[in-house]
Amino acid sequence: MNNLTQFAAANQSIFGVLGIDWKLLLLQIVAFLVLVWLLGKYVYPWLMKSVDARKAAIEATLEAADEAKQTADKAEKEVARMLQQAREQAADIVTTAKDEAVAAVASAETKARQHAETIVANAQTEIQKNVSAAKRELYNQAIDLVAEATEKVTAGAVAKDSINDRIVTNALKETN
Amino acid sequence: MTIFIDNFAALDLHVSIGSQTIGNIFGIPVTNAMITGAVGGLITLAILFYAAYKVKRGRYNRFVGLVQWVFEGLLAQIDSIIPDAKLARKITPLAVTIFFVVLINYWLSILPGLDSITMNHVPLLRSVTADLNFTVALALITMVTVQIYAIKHLGVYQNAERYFHNPFKDPIGAFEGLLELVGEVSRGTALALRLFGNAFAGEVLLIVVALLSSYAATFVLPVFMGFEIFIGLIQAYVFFVLTLIFTALAQASHGAPEVLEHSPVAATKTAAQRE
Repeated sequence: MNNLTQFAAANQSIFGVLGIDWKLLLLQIVAFLVLVWLLGKYVYPWLMKSVDARKAAIEATLEAADEAKQTADKAEKEVARMLQQAREQAADIVTTAKDEAVAAVASAETKARQHAETIVANAQTEIQKNVSAAKRELYNQAIDLVAEATEKVTAGAVAKDSINDRIVTNALKETN
Repeated sequence: MTIFIDNFAALDLHVSIGSQTIGNIFGIPVTNAMITGAVGGLITLAILFYAAYKVKRGRYNRFVGLVQWVFEGLLAQIDSIIPDAKLARKITPLAVTIFFVVLINYWLSILPGLDSITMNHVPLLRSVTADLNFTVALALITMVTVQIYAIKHLGVYQNAERYFHNPFKDPIGAFEGLLELVGEVSRGTALALRLFGNAFAGEVLLIVVALLSSYAATFVLPVFMGFEIFIGLIQAYVFFVLTLIFTALAQASHGAPEVLEHSPVAATKTAAQRE
């Protein structure tokens, strides 16, 4: 109500009604500028410094974290590479071992077969020898028997010793 | 109804748009808003000096952390609005001081006893944000600072070119300049009146609610006080951000037209030039 009365009083300016006093306005401007200067000189630099330091620390931490992540990634890749290499080497070793085993088995088989064949050949040779010896023995015995039988048949006309081996041999051949 | 009107009429409600003079010192009137403003200024100084002292010593506590958090947020805002890092650092003291001073003084307006403690029937305390002398002073400082930085960046001639063109050679430009000039004045006026209007309306609202709610004011007022605290924060932030935006706009007026063509006239002119 008071203000309406003030408005009604036409002799007062709009600034006066709104309470604007140029002296007060100037004082407020000066006071505020002094406040800005004081704070700008003694307060904000420290706060800014702390904010900058914190930002720098955060950035450094982020960089370190990034670096650590990169190192970890690199190590992981290295481990994976080494594992792969180890797997490949193991596979190579297994393959080589299998090949060598197969070769050893094959070699052993070959050797065994050769040995067996040698044994068989030797045995056959031995048998052959024995057979030959037995045949010779049998032959000699047959000659002796023939000569003895001839002597007996001829009643002593032909002596056993006089019967020629050649004759007996031919006779046996013809018999055969 | 009659009883209510009689009671309402009987309420001793004194609302004055201007701050009231309590006395005189060296011929300068001392108003209630000046006293509250001085208290608000001292509180601002105390809080910020305390925070800076603690930060300087490396002794942090929750309160210092809160101040530092707010300060860091404001700095981030400044950096995002003003692309020039050097200018951002230069405007920081003004913008941040505006924020803290407006915030604290606005919050002082909800102090109990702000209207009830009187001296010679004049309320002893009144928020300085509800005093046009203060809001106009802030707006003047902001607009002058913006012009100073614009002149530093663009030069006197180029800065004047924003407002003054030869109407015979470039009538559209002259009209645009005129609009720009009116815009500058209206920006400053709006800056001052917005803060004053909100703070003054807030104080009146609290007084009216206190008178109307009578004994229930104990329960009703805190709700409105909470609302005023929120509005105070918004107003401080708006003043702070507008200071930055005006500075950024003045800086980039001729530097990056495609970004700055905020006025319809300028946008039309640019579009016509492109065609």
